[in-house]
Parts: sequence; C-alpha cells; structure tokens
Amino acid sequence: MSSFVEIIHISTLVMMIIASFLAVVFRKLLPSIIALSVASLLLSLEFYLLHAPDVAIAEAAIGAGLTMAIFIFAIRGTR
Amino acid sequence: MKEMSRIVKTVTNFVYGFIIIFGLYIIAHGHLTPGGGFQGGAVAGSAFALLLVSYGSLNSNKFLKKDIFSLFENFGLVLFIVLGFSGLGITFFYNFLANSGSWFGNAAFIGINPGDMNTGGVIPLMNIAVGLEVLSAFGVIVLTMASGAEFTKKKEKS
Amino acid sequence: MKKIIFGIAFIIFFSFLIVSAVNMRTFGEPIISEMDDYFIENAQSETGANNVVTSIVFDYRGFDTLGEATVLFTAVVGIVALFRGVKR
Repeated sequence: MSSFVEIIHISTLVMMIIASFLAVVFRKLLPSIIALSVASLLLSLEFYLLHAPDVAIAEAAIGAGLTMAIFIFAIRGTR
Repeated sequence: MKEMSRIVKTVTNFVYGFIIIFGLYIIAHGHLTPGGGFQGGAVAGSAFALLLVSYGSLNSNKFLKKDIFSLFENFGLVLFIVLGFSGLGITFFYNFLANSGSWFGNAAFIGINPGDMNTGGVIPLMNIAVGLEVLSAFGVIVLTMASGAEFTKKKEKS
Repeated sequence: MKKIIFGIAFIIFFSFLIVSAVNMRTFGEPIISEMDDYFIENAQSETGANNVVTSIVFDYRGFDTLGEATVLFTAVVGIVALFRGVKR
C-alpha cells in the first residue's frame, strides 16, 4: 500500500517537471501558459495527496484559474 | 477583447451557476468541511473570470458592474473588523458566541462526527465576511485588468 | 570566466539543497509537538467548530487573517489606481 502511494507521488512530481519544462520550451505564448496551468493543477493534486485539501482548493482556483485568465488578457492586449 | 465562439458561450451558460453555488457552499460550510472563506471566494471568483473570458470585456459590462463589486468588498472588510472588535470585552478576536446558546452557539460533539450547522460561534460569520471580500476582490481585479488590456490595445492601434 | 564562477556557485548551492533534502525528517513526525497536541485536544470544545484548521485560522490566529485581508484590499487599491485613466 505504501509503495503504491509513493509511485503516485513520484509520477505526479515527474509530470510536473515535464510540464514546467514545456512551459519554458514552447515558442508560442498560448501553449506555454496552458502548460503552466497544467503544472499548477498537478501541484494541487500533490497537495491533496499530502493531506492538505485546503491548500489544494486554493491552489486549483488561483493557480489554474485566475492566473491563466489574467495571462490571457495580457496576451490579447499585446496583439 | 472579442467574444469567443458559440460553443464556449453555451458551455459557459451551463457551468457558471454551478461554480458560483459550489463556492458559496464552501464558504457556508467552512467550519465543518475543508475550505473556508478564502478558498470559497477564490472558486466563486474564477466563475467571473470564466464569464469575462468567454463573453469579452465589452459585452460583459452589461451584467458585471465594478461599483457593486467594490461596495461588497468594502462591506466584507468592515464586517470582519467589526466582528473582531466586538469581542473586545475579553481580548481582540475573542470567540464570544461559542457555546453560548444563541446564534451558532450549540456545543460541538467531541470526536469524529458528521457535524452540526449551528455550531462554531463567530467562525461562520467571519467565513461569510472574508468570502464576500475575496470574491469581490477577484471580480474587481479581473474586470479592471480586462478593460485595461483593451484600452492599451486601442491606444497602440491609433 | 563568468560562466565558471556561475557554475561553481550553482553546484555549491545545489549540493546544500541535496544535503538538506537527504537529512529531512520523515513525513508527519515533528520534533516539538506540544502545540499540535493542544490544538487537537481542545479546539473542538473551545471554539465549537469541527474543522480544526478553520478554528486555528479564524480564532486562535485571527490577527493573521486580518493582515491577509488587508493585503488583498491593498492589492485591489493598487490595481485600480494603476488603471485609473481607462475609459470604458
């Protein structure tokens, strides 16, 4: 049972690193902020696995919702 | 900012009411289940961001008013400070309603239990105050940033 | 030359992070736990709320929440002052 939880932890963290790397590598702006939002959502899942549902709700609402909306406004304003 | 396609607008019309009601549920049950004022306010504020992204900033000025958001934000902060000061007979932020028998004044069962809505003293009122403040603050931030981005785009084009 | 200094500083900083991550205690076993035991024992009978985290945030540490609300209000005031010349 313990090893199963550890496998989920490690795979979540590895996917988070891959998403953050993609956010740096992408040339276009809209796919880049989508990758950033995916990284934030996986961070919220990791908080939930560490028994902190309060922080998980706040991270999923702010990091994956409001930050992405504000970035979309900024990108729409520049072109 | 232009509005998005018809598919996005139809899905938004289905979904945004459920998101706002889920945020109000997290605020109202803050003393029983995980969450609280800040988290519920953030969830309900993301519904306004969804409306603003899908309908565009020019169309959504008809149903999202910045003045009403600003009024609710000031009201929430003032209510929170008044609730903090009203326990001043003993200490600042004293929980003067808990276990008193009046509003939200029932004593909680000790141990693991499903919970009673009528417990908690000042904590549910403070949850409602902070939730109102955070919801309106995110609404004001998103509305102001959308109209500011539209303004800079129009200014660069002329 | 600048890159070499940069690399050496990076390696030293990263080795400190690795050492502190290896020496970390196991999850869920803090060194001093009297405060946590007091909260878990008495929060439900003193404040009447089932959620111990909310009773800490809004009752025992209410002054911290007042500061957080003030920070959010100041952020909103700053953003509105930044875009004050925008005509709708």
